[in-house]
Amino acid sequence: MKKTILALTLVLALLLAGCGGTPAASPAPSAAPSEAPAEDSAETVSEAAAASPRAAANEISIGIAQDFDSLDPDYMTAAGTKEVLFNVFEGLVKPSPDGEIIPAVASEVVKSDDGLSYQFTLRDGVKFHNGDPVEMDDVLYSIERRWKGEDTAAQLSALSVIDNLSADGNVLTISLTEPSNEFLAAVMNAYILPSDYTKQETSPVGTGPYRFVSRAVQDSLVLERFPDYWGTPGRLDKVTFKILESADGLVLGLQSGALDLVAHLSSDQTVQLDQNEFNIAEGSMNLVQALYLNNAEKPFDDVRVRQALCWAVDKQAVIDLAFDGYGIPLGTSMFPSFSKYYDESLTDYYTPDLEKAKALLAEAGYPDGFEMTITVPSNYTPHVNTATVLVELLREIGVKATVQPVDWGTWLEEVYSNRKFQSTVTGLTSDNMTARKLLERFGSTVGNNFTNYSNAEYDEILAKALSTADDAEQTELYKQLERNLTENAANVYLQDMADLVAVRKGLDGLTFYPLYVLDVSTLGWTA
Amino acid sequence: MTTALRYSLRRVFLLLITMLLVSLLTYLAFELVSGDPARTMLGTEATEDQVQALRHEMGLDRPFAERYIRWLGGFFSGDLGVSYSYRQPVWGLISGKLELTLWLSLMSFVLIALISIPMGLISYRFTGWFAGWPRTVLNQLCMALPPFFTGILVSWCFGIALRVFTPGDFPGLRNDFPGALRHLFFGAVCLSIPRIAMTVRMMRATVISEMNMAYVRTAISRGNDRAAVLTRHVLKNSLVSVVTFLGQTLAELVGAGIVVEQVLGIPGLGRFLVTSISHRDYPVVSAIVVILAFWVVLAGTAADLISQSIDPRLRLGSGKAGIRGAA
Repeated sequence: MKKTILALTLVLALLLAGCGGTPAASPAPSAAPSEAPAEDSAETVSEAAAASPRAAANEISIGIAQDFDSLDPDYMTAAGTKEVLFNVFEGLVKPSPDGEIIPAVASEVVKSDDGLSYQFTLRDGVKFHNGDPVEMDDVLYSIERRWKGEDTAAQLSALSVIDNLSADGNVLTISLTEPSNEFLAAVMNAYILPSDYTKQETSPVGTGPYRFVSRAVQDSLVLERFPDYWGTPGRLDKVTFKILESADGLVLGLQSGALDLVAHLSSDQTVQLDQNEFNIAEGSMNLVQALYLNNAEKPFDDVRVRQALCWAVDKQAVIDLAFDGYGIPLGTSMFPSFSKYYDESLTDYYTPDLEKAKALLAEAGYPDGFEMTITVPSNYTPHVNTATVLVELLREIGVKATVQPVDWGTWLEEVYSNRKFQSTVTGLTSDNMTARKLLERFGSTVGNNFTNYSNAEYDEILAKALSTADDAEQTELYKQLERNLTENAANVYLQDMADLVAVRKGLDGLTFYPLYVLDVSTLGWTA
Repeated sequence: MTTALRYSLRRVFLLLITMLLVSLLTYLAFELVSGDPARTMLGTEATEDQVQALRHEMGLDRPFAERYIRWLGGFFSGDLGVSYSYRQPVWGLISGKLELTLWLSLMSFVLIALISIPMGLISYRFTGWFAGWPRTVLNQLCMALPPFFTGILVSWCFGIALRVFTPGDFPGLRNDFPGALRHLFFGAVCLSIPRIAMTVRMMRATVISEMNMAYVRTAISRGNDRAAVLTRHVLKNSLVSVVTFLGQTLAELVGAGIVVEQVLGIPGLGRFLVTSISHRDYPVVSAIVVILAFWVVLAGTAADLISQSIDPRLRLGSGKAGIRGAA
């Protein structure tokens, strides 16, 4: 026994020695001014240059934490796949970094005054990656299969408002059954693909600035610049995505020179990196991380209990303890990137007040607190860490929470789809740049309302918001919905998580989008 | 001749039964565990209709027995099915990874055998307090070293400080064979350290008990050199249990490689198995699990055959010991 303890101590000592090389202090993000002595930095810079022969070849290698699912745009569902294939596929319109929807394969979009028809003029000279020109047949094929194709799994529900498609020369007219503020965003996700091409699965072909070269399952995916791209061409000749599931593997890959850029890092991963070799850029993940409560389950069916949790949880403490201070506190189901809809005043609606929380619990009949379970998807470390901090914060008001980690498949089935849970920590996103997705899901009869939030006033405002064609009115109604969620403490809203990106020095042009995408076309080595 | 034939038939039969049982258990496990492949594939944004349509397309709405028998039929006709998440034939996805994992396992196995057998023989000499405790500490330390930790340590020392290989940039067997082997070698080192320690410990215990046997005392008292007795008699007698142990090790190595594959970025079978389980990619998981079962039975058979060639008493058909040999 003694020997085992000794052995363990030695292992621990080794472990600490192994970590000793990294600075313990938290570095200043993004700015990263070099405080190291000049000769020191000169040495590491030359080392960095030696570590990346890719700069000379004008290529980079990017580390990603999960493999791609299907490469066929009809079937790709993983956010990580869409994030990368954003560079390969385009719709008639596409997103811009500041959240606007801008023309892509269409050169011009005209919306009729009543909002019931859209005219898309095809851009001249757009080519597919296989060299074929984009023709109206391809466009009709691409839109139709996402609208009412025989494969329901491939349909985009937001395209169901389409009444009819009609083509005249190079002008496509789409008429709608009712006005929809989300229609263009849906068109953005209906990628334009060649109509007679059947090998999207193994060798995808689109119109984007980069084209597919090769893929090795669970290993890598290679893209190269598409020379015939209609718009601003990419700067890099070749981009390799390396798949490394382990967090340590990604950091080691950066340190060893195998990787030049890794997004979605945690703050404790970034502190392991040499500041002379890497810049850390900070964006936001554009998601609403919260302790989501099952409003139909006891005791969360009582608004006072939910409010008590809101008063008890110090969002800033969660951000400080689990995220080293990176993150934007939120008070409702909306994040700052949607500046038009975002109501900042709701963030401080509940400020930490343990007395108020205890009083509310007592009033609801739980003077001594209660026991609860937080079910978390175990593959999302940030959510697991958040749950762990929440357990400690809730203990202050006598609520004994336990964290139950489950694997992703189980989480999707039990929590998200069967709604058999008490509470969970996760992040909800909007994948098509519309605020609607973040709010519509709390309507009492909506299919993906996994929190079972049910509020008559909310349903009423939601119906009004979705039916109006007037943008200003809709914005106002969305804000009312946000306030409703906060006042009724639908969930314990926490934060919009920070997106930390490590970028090798010498590489520039990283652009953040209000979407989960990584645009490689703007990246390049500084000349 | 007939004994050999009967032996091989029995082995093949055992192999088939094992694989059949393993595949059935895998299928059953997925049946019992929650999580639906269709929903996992479609993610959080899918509607119920879409999930049901995909379930139908993948045949998941069929009864369990039908699905299993269909899969089994495919398996015996050489068709491992199509992966749910990749929508590609399973064999094409795993064949390259199988090759890598075999290389990794065999390299670790060779390391283990080459290092631990001589060390086990020598280490029986290090007894007593003075020589004993450093040996015990070293042994315990090596056994306690989890491969993920050695993986990080090795990557850091040889990858980042010395730049012998590049962690996170596995070259691939086809592109750069020596480079790939070098990368795999470091994985093999991480994998073998705890197992070398275990084998040495086991070997040492066997050697010590053999050395106390009457025949050794007799041999030494008749004027034989101690070292000669050790290599000529004791080694041979100790080897049987070591070979059995190494057989188990060979079987375990494939599974143990998962963590090392993740840390060193080796696109092997273990890593693929883990991700496929969380994606509920049944066809891939079943195929890998059956291949692993095959591997385990194969390693056991190999260990058996080697033991028998070392110790004729274990051979089939030669009295009671034969039963032990077949087990």
